[in-house]
Amino acid sequence: MDYGIEDKEQETLVRLRGRLTFNDHAKLRALIREMLQNKAKRQVLDLSTLEFVDSAGIGMLLIAREEMANADKQLVLRSAAGQVKRVLTVAQLNKIVTIED
Amino acid sequence: MVPSPTRVAALQGLGVPADRLDRLSAALRLPPRRPGSPAGEEFGASVLLLVGDAGAVEAPDFWQRPFGAWIEVASLSDAQIVEAARRAARADLFACVTTVTANRLHLAGRILNGLAALHPMPEAQRDDMELALHEAISNAVVHGNLQVEGMKGLSVEALERFSHDLAARMADPAFADRRIEVAAWLESACAVVEVADEGTGFARPERIDYGASGRGLDLIAAIVEELQLLDGGRRIRMRFPL
Repeated sequence: MDYGIEDKEQETLVRLRGRLTFNDHAKLRALIREMLQNKAKRQVLDLSTLEFVDSAGIGMLLIAREEMANADKQLVLRSAAGQVKRVLTVAQLNKIVTIED
Repeated sequence: MVPSPTRVAALQGLGVPADRLDRLSAALRLPPRRPGSPAGEEFGASVLLLVGDAGAVEAPDFWQRPFGAWIEVASLSDAQIVEAARRAARADLFACVTTVTANRLHLAGRILNGLAALHPMPEAQRDDMELALHEAISNAVVHGNLQVEGMKGLSVEALERFSHDLAARMADPAFADRRIEVAAWLESACAVVEVADEGTGFARPERIDYGASGRGLDLIAAIVEELQLLDGGRRIRMRFPL
């Protein structure tokens, strides 16, 4: 998995690319650190170019959500498609995280 | 008689010394297939690839017909390879590789490509099956063979602990050289896929305290028609409707 960060006026937009699986633990730690450091309250993960996510990937997104909440920030998952959208649905993540189309 | 398209009928080596390949070819009674010979036409059946070079087998060409079985040689004896080849003969697709290789290859996607070639399916169904197989293989890799515990709680500390343990075990041959075995076959109106590891086994808990881990088996259960844990949890059998 790779990511690119774009600071906007009201929010920080993080675009995830590729596959998000248990192998990406180091990347996710780095990403969470960066999201905690920047100022925006709204941290948006754009998932439109993410191709595959697994249960560990979901778990790491939940860790990101928790860490943002502890720092009084909001995590938003946006534009999931295909397999990724399907996994978010099957795992019922909408009950825990804000999901936008 | 026309041989079944998935019956293993020949052997090919990838980075295996010629004398060893000849010896195994004789023991298995499978003729050697030379690299680059026409794609399976001369057999009408599948080829068992003996993998001596785990890096070279990442090339997609080795995961298409006529290849239908993959055994990574690593530290296996000839007798162990013959045993594995017998198990391969009972499946339409079969892979027996080390933990490190299973992880590096993204084995689930490759097996699913093979299944989809035998039985074409819609993309959404393929995605679901790949996820279930990926979860089963990940469980076998992480919790089975590497004996790394899941992420407890929802904190960066839990993630760091997981990172650290996973990297340490993946670098330790005593764990990383353990085997992952995937066998898949088609039955009438369904596909059966098994994933086996060499860990200490697993009993499905009645109640799971979800932290950042623990969702894999539930995801599998949500997708498959039937799920069985065999051999004390070292082998999972999944049945998918087709």
